Amino acid sequence: MSESETSRDKWGIAHVHASFNNTLITVTDLTGAETIVKSSGGAVVKQNRDEASPYAAMQMAESVAEEIKAAGIKGLHVRVRGPGGNDIKSPGPGAQATIRALARAGLEIGRIEDVTPIPHDGTRAPKNRRL
Amino acid sequence: MQHVKVPQDRIGVLIGEGGETMREIEQRAEVRLDIDSGSGAVAIDQVGDPVSGMLAPDIVRAIGRGFTPESALSILDDELRTFELVDLDSHTRNKNDLRRQKGRLIGEDGRTRELMEELTGAEVVIKGSTLGAIGQPEEVSAVRRAVGMILDGAPHGAVYSFLERKHNELTQGFDVRQSG
Repeated sequence: MSESETSRDKWGIAHVHASFNNTLITVTDLTGAETIVKSSGGAVVKQNRDEASPYAAMQMAESVAEEIKAAGIKGLHVRVRGPGGNDIKSPGPGAQATIRALARAGLEIGRIEDVTPIPHDGTRAPKNRRL
Repeated sequence: MQHVKVPQDRIGVLIGEGGETMREIEQRAEVRLDIDSGSGAVAIDQVGDPVSGMLAPDIVRAIGRGFTPESALSILDDELRTFELVDLDSHTRNKNDLRRQKGRLIGEDGRTRELMEELTGAEVVIKGSTLGAIGQPEEVSAVRRAVGMILDGAPHGAVYSFLERKHNELTQGFDVRQSG
């Protein structure tokens, strides 16, 4: 990737936090310090239980993609994250849907990284809950 | 690069006759598989499209958990198809309890498991101490709820009527999008 500063081939990072109750999408520049767009489940659905659904994630990703393209970004690296810690380690249902929708909206997808926090043996995990 | 562990008895299925299955996964998911048949470790390297490459670990894991290669590869068929794994070990007290709960999940002559598949539309496979499901997200979550009910000790009749209700929801009111 060349470091040309023409506005058309800038890259960004999409931080996707997908839990089982919500999905948060934040798009930043490559440093991660400047937020360009953000969106969460509540912005597209009415019922709280739908916030984490893949359909909500798709809608969010579509609107986010439009704004990103308006900001002159052509590609995104993706950092997905589940709840992590002592909680579930795998990203929730919104993660995949988000990435797919971003790709289909015409954005190039670079590296996909899993940044779920993994405990290096921290506090004791809570006892197992029922499904 | 990601690593997945596949049990010894599924390595053969993962590789396929003359490496057939392995090549098909590599081709369709645009990845490179490095299978260590001694230890069962599979290293997955992305070579092409990162979006389909993201699903490769799930495909390998699904084959490792008893799915046929065809159904595991069906994850790629459609946008939202998902694979989910329920670890029965962490929801049962000991070996005997695991055996008992697996028996309850499978049902007499496999009736319960078959009904779960038929009424939700997802594919359900129980192997060792895991239960896997492949299907649309609503189907998979219905299976998950039903499994939770059985593990909690709900009578089979109650689970069947729950599945029956879900079946009606999934087939008739075709409003997968949220209804305002």
